[in-house]
Amino acid sequence: MTGSDGRSLPDTQWPRWEVFKQDAEGKPHQAVGSVHAADAEHALLMARSVHVRRPAAASLWVAPADAVYAVTAEQLTAAGDRDPRGAAPADASRDGSGPQRFLVFRKTSHRRSMTFVDHVGEVDAPGPEAALAAARVAFPDPPALAWWVVPASQVVASPADEAPAWFDPARSKTYKQQSEYGTLNAGQRKGERS
Amino acid sequence: MPPESGRTEPDPQRLEAFEARIARGEKIEPGDWMPEAYRRQLVRMISQHAHSEVVGMLPEGAWITRAPSLRRKLILIAKVQDEAGHGQYLYHAAETLGVGREELVAALLEGRAKYSSVFNYPTLTWADVGMIGWLVDGAAIRNQLMLAQCSYGPYSRAMVRICAEETFHHKQGKEMVLTYAAGTPSQRAMAQDALDRWWWPSLMMLGPHDSDSPNTPQLARWGIKTKTNDQVRQEFVDEHVPELRQAGLTVPDPALRFDRASGHWVHGPIDWDEFWRVVKGNGPVNAERLAARRQAHEDGRWVREAMAAYAARAVATAS
Repeated sequence: MTGSDGRSLPDTQWPRWEVFKQDAEGKPHQAVGSVHAADAEHALLMARSVHVRRPAAASLWVAPADAVYAVTAEQLTAAGDRDPRGAAPADASRDGSGPQRFLVFRKTSHRRSMTFVDHVGEVDAPGPEAALAAARVAFPDPPALAWWVVPASQVVASPADEAPAWFDPARSKTYKQQSEYGTLNAGQRKGERS
Repeated sequence: MPPESGRTEPDPQRLEAFEARIARGEKIEPGDWMPEAYRRQLVRMISQHAHSEVVGMLPEGAWITRAPSLRRKLILIAKVQDEAGHGQYLYHAAETLGVGREELVAALLEGRAKYSSVFNYPTLTWADVGMIGWLVDGAAIRNQLMLAQCSYGPYSRAMVRICAEETFHHKQGKEMVLTYAAGTPSQRAMAQDALDRWWWPSLMMLGPHDSDSPNTPQLARWGIKTKTNDQVRQEFVDEHVPELRQAGLTVPDPALRFDRASGHWVHGPIDWDEFWRVVKGNGPVNAERLAARRQAHEDGRWVREAMAAYAARAVATAS
């Protein structure tokens, strides 16, 4: 982008990072959206501002958006026995040095939701297509509507030992909760002041 | 953005399968086949919606320093911060359709993008902050509850999250207005004055009459909109008129009446000339809003440059 003054704007297009939020320990990390950030640390801070203004969160992960291999059930059906390459990201993570670990995420319901794919486990594979094939065998049920596989090496987590500093402040801001206001009724409020 | 491929008619078989998926209540996800017109309509709606959240920070943000108590200040800061977050959720949803946030932001800053007409009215008193929460956010929630049913997964998810947070906006505004409506004569007058100025813009922000809303039938068939503008407007009126009256306030519409047969409140004619004037850029403070947005963007330039330099140095040091 070039500004009206002709200067090149080092603007909003830092790389995009996908954000995964864990609501509580023991629950899966879930894809909640993306942020733009210069690096992983910046992405985690942006993710907290954008996606954790309310309780509750126990952990955040971020991964560069172009490291995510995303495929829908429709794409898999259309591809048949072939790789659904239409959705393949740049294959930068493959260097031929053997299998690597991938995190597997999937969506299994059309129900109304705030989140997209859920973390379901890991597979080891030489590349994203092989990782998806392995994931379909390892996690067959219930049938997935969408899959994401992400190299584990590309995922950066919020620091576990700093979780209270990262996530506790949002819990005390109860004035952001609609429950703080109860049922508001004009009749009940007469004569009150604040 | 893909070129003008969408001008050609989509493959009838694929279109039929797509419409069958929507009829079954399935969500369309990034990567799934979709008609180009579906993608284009979504980009149009989501980007207008994102810009509205961003510009929506301005009318109220100006009052943060003048909040009458620490509690009200904390609430208002949190609300404005939410609007910033909502803009980001929506830019993300638009990005899944192949447009970049940068080009959307550029369109806003250069005055090429539309955003909600309601934000082009000035906030003259503190009571406006409460009335915006109760009426403007109340109208927005009605629209967003409908859009939470949308067939496009990323837009639907953003709406579900936004509705949960906007309910706080609505309630804090209602609480504030009810407090003033039951307060001193000057507080009551301030609340009534705010209602007088925000009532009609709140009705207008739900969009043109169905007869002037040519996109609606296609948007309905594809599950993008599940109600018409007039239906959503009627829900808003039915929800808010009894509560405003119960608070002792007078809705500034002499033709307003309750229709027993239908069970609905019937409002008087809306001044659509005013609506179109504001939408086309000639509202009371359109120019001021854009100027403030541009200034904020310019003021943030050094931060963006510093972040880029820091990241570049980290890469250089690592290699």
